Amino acid sequence: MSLSLETAPTAEDAAHRRPRITTNKQRVTWVTLALLVVLVVGLVWALSIGSQHISLSRLPGAILKADEPDELIIQSIRLPRVVLALCVGAALAVAGALMQAVAANPLAAPEIMGVNAGAVLMVVLAVTVVPSLSGAPTILLAFGGAAAAGVSVMLLAGSGRGRVSPVRLALAGVTASSLLISLTQVLIIFDENSTDSVLFWLVGGVNYAGWHDIRNLLPWLVLGLIGAFAMARPLNLLALGDDMARGLGQNVERTRLFGSALVVVLCGAAVSVAGPVAFIGLIVPHIFRRLVGSSYTVLLPLCAVGGGVLVLYADIVSRYVKPPFEVPAGVVTALIGAPIFVYLARRQKVTS
Amino acid sequence: MTSTAIVAQHIRRTSLARRHPAILMGSLGVLAVVLSFYGLSVGATEVPVADVLRALVGDTSTQASRIVIDFQLPRVLLCWLVGIALAVSGAVMQGVIRNPLAAPDIIGVTKGAGFAGMLLLLAIPTLPVVAVVPAAFVGGLLAAAMVYVFAYRRGATPVRIALVGIAVSAAFEAGIRFLLVRNPLDVSAALIWLTGSLFGRSMTSVLQILPWVLVLVPLIIVWARKLDVLGLGDDLASGLGEPVERTRRVLLFFAVALAAAAVAVSGTIGFVGLIAPHMARRVFGGKHIASIPAAALFGVLLMLIADMLGRGLAPPLEIPAGLVTAVVGGPYFLYLLVKTGK
Repeated sequence: MSLSLETAPTAEDAAHRRPRITTNKQRVTWVTLALLVVLVVGLVWALSIGSQHISLSRLPGAILKADEPDELIIQSIRLPRVVLALCVGAALAVAGALMQAVAANPLAAPEIMGVNAGAVLMVVLAVTVVPSLSGAPTILLAFGGAAAAGVSVMLLAGSGRGRVSPVRLALAGVTASSLLISLTQVLIIFDENSTDSVLFWLVGGVNYAGWHDIRNLLPWLVLGLIGAFAMARPLNLLALGDDMARGLGQNVERTRLFGSALVVVLCGAAVSVAGPVAFIGLIVPHIFRRLVGSSYTVLLPLCAVGGGVLVLYADIVSRYVKPPFEVPAGVVTALIGAPIFVYLARRQKVTS
Repeated sequence: MTSTAIVAQHIRRTSLARRHPAILMGSLGVLAVVLSFYGLSVGATEVPVADVLRALVGDTSTQASRIVIDFQLPRVLLCWLVGIALAVSGAVMQGVIRNPLAAPDIIGVTKGAGFAGMLLLLAIPTLPVVAVVPAAFVGGLLAAAMVYVFAYRRGATPVRIALVGIAVSAAFEAGIRFLLVRNPLDVSAALIWLTGSLFGRSMTSVLQILPWVLVLVPLIIVWARKLDVLGLGDDLASGLGEPVERTRRVLLFFAVALAAAAVAVSGTIGFVGLIAPHMARRVFGGKHIASIPAAALFGVLLMLIADMLGRGLAPPLEIPAGLVTAVVGGPYFLYLLVKTGK
């Protein structure tokens, strides 16, 4: 089983042969087509299920106008939910891919490194202290929380000089996450006493989605995605190792800084509207790296669509968990993601 | 926590503890007893200490004394039993695996036990509560076995065991959340399984955990020398005539059973099993005959303080004890992580 998770070849490797950044054009086409089919099926499925049965033939009309109750249900409840699932998945998956590139660490992901937990803590804090606060200001606070948590974890794990062991970084990140989550729970207990809200901020989901959430998220998502796609080439060079990238004229520090800033924007925005949907940023990049190789030019767009599809399907499955009640999609993504996390943790080389 | 740490540091400097362990152990015990009395008197309604004493000697005529007997006493007793169980479990794990980062919650036992216990309770609601401990034991054992299998890949470092343990914990935690979503409980019950709490526990819970602590903890203390021998390394230990593998397995069984019993009554309280043994070793040194009882006492102190803080910070709201230990324990684990890296 050959795995190309290790994107940074050693110096000798690079000297002897061309960089191991492979894209098999045909394969990419097939993966893209398959992904689009899965996406369309998911869209139709997600729009047609729910406590009210609505026949498929009504879907096209309902998306455009909302005169009858059925059409209203689709337009004001199911459609925002689907769109938000796609947006949140895209943001978290691309953030995960960026983070793995920037930290040169296969275990780096916003949920592992405390970034999501930091954003959640700030959002819950803001809502607790100033209940009237919502929308744009909370997102800005979430950026602050995400950045502070991510930077602290990097510092704690002994980053800065030399390469940090991936395992150590992950361990520090997970511990910091659990600390931040505990503080969040304390705040939730002070604020209100409903299991629903506790679960929402612990696991995340799109079941309360409305159009205003999408309006809040969209500008940041567009900014983040454009920024990420624009960085694809520098990230490819970064994957060759710092020295090599420098030799090829890259400003490594600047690439890292921009990449990290984009991670903060994408995660902060996604988490503040949908909570910390688990493991998207960890597993989606790994899945697509296996399917299409490690060139970020291809990987990032596929991650964006794939992350959206994963959250969409998680949301569909979560509706079958306990009908007619709504269950946060994060419960489902955690069930899928945790075994993959175990697998990735096991794969790490023995260090120190 | 901070005051005991400062006291511990001071004592270590004068090295009185190493010369007269009995004196220090005694004073820790006295401190725990004093805190327990305080714990009996604080709560939703404050009960004067005099009334607490009167209630304890059997005067159950007043309402205050009934509060003490029915609500406060089980709670304080559970602080003792859960603290002892978790701390001793952690001390044994750290000794057997020879890994400073080992603890029932770090290597997945706590969450595995919590998941299994919860699954059984929800699947067969009519089941007597006594059955929860064996179920939790099976779950804890399963989690520990998973970590063992997944982490060993041409050797394993403490750090990797910890990471795989956390990943396995995350898997079981996902399961716990799934069960919670399927079977909505009220907030306090949900928080017990998510973070661990002693809220609303009765004497039934005390009786559930008591036999396990009474049997296993003395056994482990009797075996403390074996732990010291294991600490010398496999070769030296088997040279001294110790059946290394068997001893290790039996001791790990005991440790998992203690942790499972604690989880069955108080949920997934984290970090007590990690911190208490470390504190004990720093104060009393590495000999297990001293450090295991000391770890038990530190465990009790941590639980008493966490529970009291949780109740006292913003009454009538209660912060589950497990959240308090997590907020204190997280930074300590990070500190250990940085230290083991050097």
